[in-house]
Amino acid sequence: MAGEEMVRVAVDQELCIGAGVCELLEPEVFELDNDIVISSVTGDELLPRARADVVVDRCPSRAIAIVEEEL
Amino acid sequence: MAPPSAAAVDTPNVTDPSLYLEGIPHDRFAQIRATPGLAWHPYEDGGFWAVTRHAEVRHVSRNPELFSSAIGHTNLWDLEADALEARRSLIDTDAPDHTRLRRLVAGAFTPKNIRRWEETVRAITGELLDEFVAQGGGDWVDMVAAPLPIQVILTMLGVPTDDADYLVELSNYLVEGTGDAQSIPPDAFGNTTELRLLPFNSPASHALFEYGEGMRQQRQNDLRDDLVSHLVQAESDVERMSRNEYRNMFHLLVFAGNETTRTAISHGGMALAAFPDEWGRVLADPGLIDSSAEEILRWATPVMHMRRTATTDTELAGTPIAEGDKVVMWYASANRDEAVFEDPFRFDVSRANGDHFAFGGGGPHLCLGAFLARLEVTVLLEEMAKRSICLEQTSEPVRARSNFVHGVLSVGMQPAGGTN
Ligand code: HEM
Repeated sequence: MAGEEMVRVAVDQELCIGAGVCELLEPEVFELDNDIVISSVTGDELLPRARADVVVDRCPSRAIAIVEEEL
Repeated sequence: MAPPSAAAVDTPNVTDPSLYLEGIPHDRFAQIRATPGLAWHPYEDGGFWAVTRHAEVRHVSRNPELFSSAIGHTNLWDLEADALEARRSLIDTDAPDHTRLRRLVAGAFTPKNIRRWEETVRAITGELLDEFVAQGGGDWVDMVAAPLPIQVILTMLGVPTDDADYLVELSNYLVEGTGDAQSIPPDAFGNTTELRLLPFNSPASHALFEYGEGMRQQRQNDLRDDLVSHLVQAESDVERMSRNEYRNMFHLLVFAGNETTRTAISHGGMALAAFPDEWGRVLADPGLIDSSAEEILRWATPVMHMRRTATTDTELAGTPIAEGDKVVMWYASANRDEAVFEDPFRFDVSRANGDHFAFGGGGPHLCLGAFLARLEVTVLLEEMAKRSICLEQTSEPVRARSNFVHGVLSVGMQPAGGTN
């Protein structure tokens, strides 16, 4: 199983409603800007696929996607 | 409205508000859940699709482009176009309006920022519990469940907490407006607006609008570090928020911030009294506080349903849905779905699956106050545990006559066992 497969995630800032679910689940990867209240990815951090799936699944506005690319 | 299919005609009624005087009609929901497809439920001169299973509620909630919050109404009954416009709040919008309005308030309610209110919540909770113990108990709703959330949301908004009783009173009238009987005349609180233009058709909405307008005028020249000032600043730029959006937002925050959490705490107290062994497990292991808060939320399901309207012909659970059909997500049923929750009628403080829909079905209207409400319930449990308060129920609950808010108007409780 590819339990350790790492994937990159991205936030669609048009769709983000600033609920903060991603920041709660993965504080190392997502950060909400306190003024504009939009989430962004803090850097180029990667997530194990299983955890990425959870944030994608939990984002209420479906603003998070896994960026499929060759790593 | 879609013609009812032959199979759906037998759908048991779940909207009669008087049913809810005895509690949620869980047996009826179980029957609907067990029937394949979606059930057509007659309502007034039309009807709606009753979505009762967890997976399907989630589908409706997470696909707002198919199931709109902005068309018709998010309650069971349709509003006329002018009434919908006058009453429209965050909850009755779709993107992009929803995104714009939600971002105006989202910052105050993120998990990170909500944590800053913990000490305030703890202080308010401690005072209420100490008084409850000192009095030897009383009406749990009046003494704890109602004052805690209203004091917290008013503090956040910047509204004087001296006005808490008045705003709780207004809020009670609003819940009545979700049922079929109003105890106040149309001109109560000096109201002259047609009731159909007011949220919950209630003159109490007029009073709440007036109150919000007073706050707006006060803050306009005296901006502070509170939520009303923040809204007033946004309202000064019509691109960001109109005057009508301001007043509906103020109304929504006061109502949603208080009625729902109060309902969770009312049912929470009743559950802890009914299942003392479960509370005993929490007292023995404070590590169970978080999961017991989630279980209380599932158990209580304060908001029992929300409605959407199909934007196009679509299909769900093999049932065709026509554009314009009403689709109602029954959170009260999804939270007892045996496909997701093992032994769903058991109150289990260590339940591992916390994927309940007390705060909605996972879509963009996810409760704005979810993390605040969780903080309030968690801190309440912590402070009760600290004082070793065990609850004993001393009277039957008086329940709200509403198919929308699972409200409890009063229930007697007394602290048994230890005191501080
Ligand atoms: C236990 C307590 C609470 C429960 C069970 C609850 C429940 C809900 C539910 C089910 C929705 C979703 C509506 C939909 O699907 O269309 C919602 C939305 C909302 N709630 Fe709560 N709520 C609670 C506490 C609060 C608090 C404390 C606030 C304080 C501000 C609040 C403010 C809101 C707002 C503004 C919305 C609309 C969000 C939107 O449309 O984007 N709620 N709530």
